[in-house]
Amino acid sequence: MTEPLKTQPLKTEPWSPFSYIVTNLARFVEPGDVAFSGVNSSMAMLACLLAKRAYDFPFTYINVAGGVDPEPRYAPLSSSDPELARESASIFANEDFYDLCARGRMDLCFLGAAQIDAQGRTNVSVIGDWHEPKVRLPGGGGAAVMLPTARRSCTWRTEHSTRTLVDRLDFITGGGGMYGVVTPIAVLVKRDGRLRLDSWHPDVTVDEVVDRTGFELDTSGAAPTRPPTEAERAALASLDPDGTFERDAKIRG
Amino acid sequence: MADGTDTASKIVSLRELAALVPDGASVALGGSFLHRGPFAFVRELIRQRRIGLEIVKQSPGYDLDVLCRAGAVAKAYTGIVAMEGNFGLAPWYRRAVERKEIELEENACYSLTSRLRAAAYGVPFQPVAGLHGSDIPALNGWKEIPDPYGSGRSVWVVPALSPDFAVLHAPEVSEHGDVRILGTPHWDRIMSRAAKRVLVVAERIAPMESFREHPEKTLVPHFMVEAVAVQPQGAWPGSCHPDYAIDYPAVEHYMSEAESTLQAHLERAPELRGSSRD
Repeated sequence: MTEPLKTQPLKTEPWSPFSYIVTNLARFVEPGDVAFSGVNSSMAMLACLLAKRAYDFPFTYINVAGGVDPEPRYAPLSSSDPELARESASIFANEDFYDLCARGRMDLCFLGAAQIDAQGRTNVSVIGDWHEPKVRLPGGGGAAVMLPTARRSCTWRTEHSTRTLVDRLDFITGGGGMYGVVTPIAVLVKRDGRLRLDSWHPDVTVDEVVDRTGFELDTSGAAPTRPPTEAERAALASLDPDGTFERDAKIRG
Repeated sequence: MADGTDTASKIVSLRELAALVPDGASVALGGSFLHRGPFAFVRELIRQRRIGLEIVKQSPGYDLDVLCRAGAVAKAYTGIVAMEGNFGLAPWYRRAVERKEIELEENACYSLTSRLRAAAYGVPFQPVAGLHGSDIPALNGWKEIPDPYGSGRSVWVVPALSPDFAVLHAPEVSEHGDVRILGTPHWDRIMSRAAKRVLVVAERIAPMESFREHPEKTLVPHFMVEAVAVQPQGAWPGSCHPDYAIDYPAVEHYMSEAESTLQAHLERAPELRGSSRD
């Protein structure tokens, strides 16, 4: 493997881990997508709202509050808040969006995860043995059904470590596998059935990303992540004007 | 009055409504996370010292957590459990599972919905998409069967689940018990169809004429509803669209670990103000 590129000093302001995650999640949205954000998913909600504000292509944003291309006045702390259905012309409720996903019509589904393995499978159920839990996590939720049925699923972790990106999951909640994963320091994308390094935060090295990943990581073809555009920065600033989401997320790079 | 066909007024007090649910009953709770849950009802179950409850809900949070904190739960059928609103995991639920004080049937939200659908559709089991590659089906002893029509695909099937009660919180009811939800119904519709008995807490009674004018906004018709209590602010500390938003300081107070917090929290609840509880 070639020596990783030396970090280029950025001319722009530093790219916070919070902004890095939200912005790179938003970049998974493609023109024409039906994209979904669910409960307990502030980062995904912000990413979808950011994509709506920063990108000039059309896509459909649906969410767990029943909203279809809503126009919330602000980003609510709860990612299932009724504010996310404001100005929506329909209510596309829980059974509707699950059925949509089940029949293969959900293009992009954002789902939370505690542990992720090399195939992009996830554990959101338990740390330790399921029957002797060290930590009981939120549970099956969307993952077990949406991960295998959505066209593309993406997730985020606020910690990039061998505890979160693991060689072996404590429990397989969701099979099928993530298409994309964003951490505070890297973007992973699935190719030929495995997550590979797609790009890395300009402030870290490829070696650091590899060291902090619990499974073997192919880095060929990866490049430093493109810095945020003015439109992306402005959109995120408008969604988190007083920095509440960034503070509550408590992310270290 | 086990069914709702009598069109005489079904309005009872919150105390009477909660008294219909015996120890050990299985109860599906409406709403999702901190939104439009029957939280005053849940607190009333705690005040009446109910025990051994089986709670059914795809996305519970505060409701399941406070019931676990009070020791009222024997078993939970859940999809995803968290406080949400940046408060993280539901701590008393989490501890109750870790200490094996309650039994958990872990589901995907959709598999639990499918179990309710089987009951609602009058069939013993229901096929459910996805689940392939997940450890959850084996955990619950679910079966995978081939498509009997020969597509070559196989599908997981889950058994019917008919809760003894569905308890919903709604902004508006008619005096006969028609239930109007504004905004998303969350999982309330399938819960109301799957459960053996439906109880409702509402913010207010709206005129019958308004229901006749917009019958399509009625989620549950009166004949399916057994009894209704009117309780303003009944979804506190959660939201009830379009009337009020989450009371974040109250949730933050609830999250305090102090021994006295649960009692203090219960005493701050809106249903203790005024006479509506009785």
